[in-house]
Amino acid sequence: MSNKDSRRVVVTGIGVVTSIGDSLAAFANGLFGGKCGIGSLSLFDTTDFSCRVAAEIRGIDLNARLGTPGTKRVSRCDLLGLVAAGEAISNFGPAFKTCDRDRVGVIMGGGAGGMLSWEGYRRAVWSGRKRPRASGLLASSPSTMADLIGSRWGLNGFRTTVTTACSSSATAIGYGFDLIRNGAQDMVVTGGSESLSELTFAGFNALRLMDPLYCRPFDKNRQGLSLGEGAAVLILESYDRARSRGAGIYGEVLGYAINSDAYHMTSPDPEARGMHRVMEKAIAAAGLHPDMIDYINAHGTATRVNDQAETRAIREVFGEEGSRRIHVSSTKSMVGHCLGAAGAVEAVATVLALEKQRLPPTIHLEEPDEGCDLDYVPNRSRQCEIRFALSNSFAFGGNNTCLVFGRGA
Amino acid sequence: MSDIVITGIGVISPIGVGRETFWAGCREARSGIKKITAFDTDSFGCGIAGTIDDFDPRRFMSPRVYRRMSKISRMAVAASREALEDSGLDLDTTDRDRVAVVLGTSYGSSSHVEDFYVSLLKEGPRGAQPFLFPETVPNAPASHIAMFHGITGPNTTFCQNEISAESAILYARDLLAHNLVDVVFAGGAEELSQMLFSCYDAVGALCRTKAREDDSVRPEPGKGLVLGEGAGVLVMERGDHARARNARIYGRIRSGVITGGTAELGHYEREGTQMARAIREVMKQSDMGPADIDQIHVSANFSGELDRMEHDRLEALFGERKTRLEVTPLKYLMGDFGGAGVVRAAAILLSLYYRQAPPTVRLKTLKGSDGPVIWDPAPSHKIATALMTSSTFGGASASFVFTRE
Repeated sequence: MSNKDSRRVVVTGIGVVTSIGDSLAAFANGLFGGKCGIGSLSLFDTTDFSCRVAAEIRGIDLNARLGTPGTKRVSRCDLLGLVAAGEAISNFGPAFKTCDRDRVGVIMGGGAGGMLSWEGYRRAVWSGRKRPRASGLLASSPSTMADLIGSRWGLNGFRTTVTTACSSSATAIGYGFDLIRNGAQDMVVTGGSESLSELTFAGFNALRLMDPLYCRPFDKNRQGLSLGEGAAVLILESYDRARSRGAGIYGEVLGYAINSDAYHMTSPDPEARGMHRVMEKAIAAAGLHPDMIDYINAHGTATRVNDQAETRAIREVFGEEGSRRIHVSSTKSMVGHCLGAAGAVEAVATVLALEKQRLPPTIHLEEPDEGCDLDYVPNRSRQCEIRFALSNSFAFGGNNTCLVFGRGA
Repeated sequence: MSDIVITGIGVISPIGVGRETFWAGCREARSGIKKITAFDTDSFGCGIAGTIDDFDPRRFMSPRVYRRMSKISRMAVAASREALEDSGLDLDTTDRDRVAVVLGTSYGSSSHVEDFYVSLLKEGPRGAQPFLFPETVPNAPASHIAMFHGITGPNTTFCQNEISAESAILYARDLLAHNLVDVVFAGGAEELSQMLFSCYDAVGALCRTKAREDDSVRPEPGKGLVLGEGAGVLVMERGDHARARNARIYGRIRSGVITGGTAELGHYEREGTQMARAIREVMKQSDMGPADIDQIHVSANFSGELDRMEHDRLEALFGERKTRLEVTPLKYLMGDFGGAGVVRAAAILLSLYYRQAPPTVRLKTLKGSDGPVIWDPAPSHKIATALMTSSTFGGASASFVFTRE
């Protein structure tokens, strides 16, 4: 995870589908426009739930976007991922077709995978309907995404899936970074996808972790998170390779770190030791110093405990002066918490911030909280010099990941 | 660069609960596949699996600790406990930030997923049981291991069907090789729930075998998959770190490779091209050829598709070396599950350390035309190197070479 090796790792393809934009350009507009993707749910019945909102992706025919028949057995999660992968590969350019397929790996981050499909089957069995078609069950695993991407584009290199809940796709990107830096692969297609599902929604509802209105990260009156769905795919390769073919470079991955709170399955350590150490380790692994970080894309779920702990951790890493200087925002305020895809969606937001030299906002921030007193870029994006940035993902089970990004130029 | 070694092994498997029982069972080719008694299989076409019915978590931890854990988490923590004790490592004198936990699992706690969803269907959103939900994430077992031992270093979980544990072992190797940590608890875990079983049965993947309780169950290659469950944890270190503390070393991971092939949904890679490439690559990285490999451990699982693919590819790769190629298909004794790779690796490492090869079958057994499997008792030829190959439905493959220290 350190930057001591000679191979620099850059991002040369990006695809993204979210509730605020279903392509890279649309997502960038939504992001810097402070668009809110959180609204009522149509995917399943939310009667009797305390919270009835989420950031659902609407207005896009996923099957039509993919353009090929035979996607009926593919879950919603995997459709989102295939659309994002298609855009990333298209953005990469025609050179993708001539790469050595044996040396292109696929590492995805997953969450509930095809849970929505499994739920449909399970409900049918429960209601005693005639034996429902089981073929959709084959695609239920979160590992299916990597297999589908690998098979569809004939990618024979490395293949695996990270499943650490909210930090899955951040770790996946980090692992992809490792494989390029070490020369194990020429390119890695990485990222994550997640679809809303009733089970996940009911779980967060039962734990009373969701805001019935919309999530309000770092706000004094925040009530919890808003779930979201989406997919983001990034193509990583070495800087030298990208340069030699004159490729457009979106940004650079400088390093990452992962660790464990070893504290509790659903609550973060209130002393934020794990969060603090993972950011420090990541910055060191990237060969940087906290002084050089200008922006943090926060985990920022808007639960009372996360935002407090994360703020505390940032203060400890950056010190008094650094905390006054640094800019932090939670893009979950716009796209919701995309769980298995969150790390990747937020990595794209971070890369865009560096590319455009513009801070994405934390929307819905109306009243500051005394315990959360950093610059969270309230409500409106703004231009800013950003040299390097972090993206945080602090998952259920205390699985913390921090990615470090730099500009592409 | 230092070698990567294994200094502790913990196993909870259908062949035996606990490392010693497991190893004794391996040597006898004792099958853990039996009639399922944990749940009702009357409505299913299949009634057998490699279930673990004699795992008592109290052997490994207190009820207060395991009370809220799913079976998969209990097995994972138990295996980690056994592995730690076996390694002789003292965590109190170790920097816990430099101790990692990396696991692999295909489904995590499918029983908790089922129970939680059923509570939702029955009682509605207000009746859904909140304490069930945190156990539904695949990273719960690894998190429980971290909490149990107070380990704060890198912690991650992989999920890639039958190479889930292999993914974990490979990531663990890289963490050590790049000196990011000093110790890794690496492994895999899987529980067999009625829900999971019913899904596999519904898609027609399982063998259509029913059995009575005391029946000797003898599945046949090609007649359909047999599922299993279990957990394993290896304590991995750099060789110099292990030798500095006079640890007993079971063996080395010499090389490891993962490849991805093209497969139709729910099927294995048709020709096994990438599986073969993983094997060739892993031997090349070890500076070995087919003649240098003493043991071959295959991932054949009675499905037919995978068994035949491994047969054909291994025959092509190793055929010239011997007229009667012998392989060890450990899943024929315990069933198939995502975390199985670590249990298979444990069998390899124990065989290397004790200088005693596990039983084998003739390669042609995998083709599936010979009736029930016949095991040859441990052959007496040298066993200092082992190849482990694993392939998934979905197209991915993993290959490892293990050697004696």
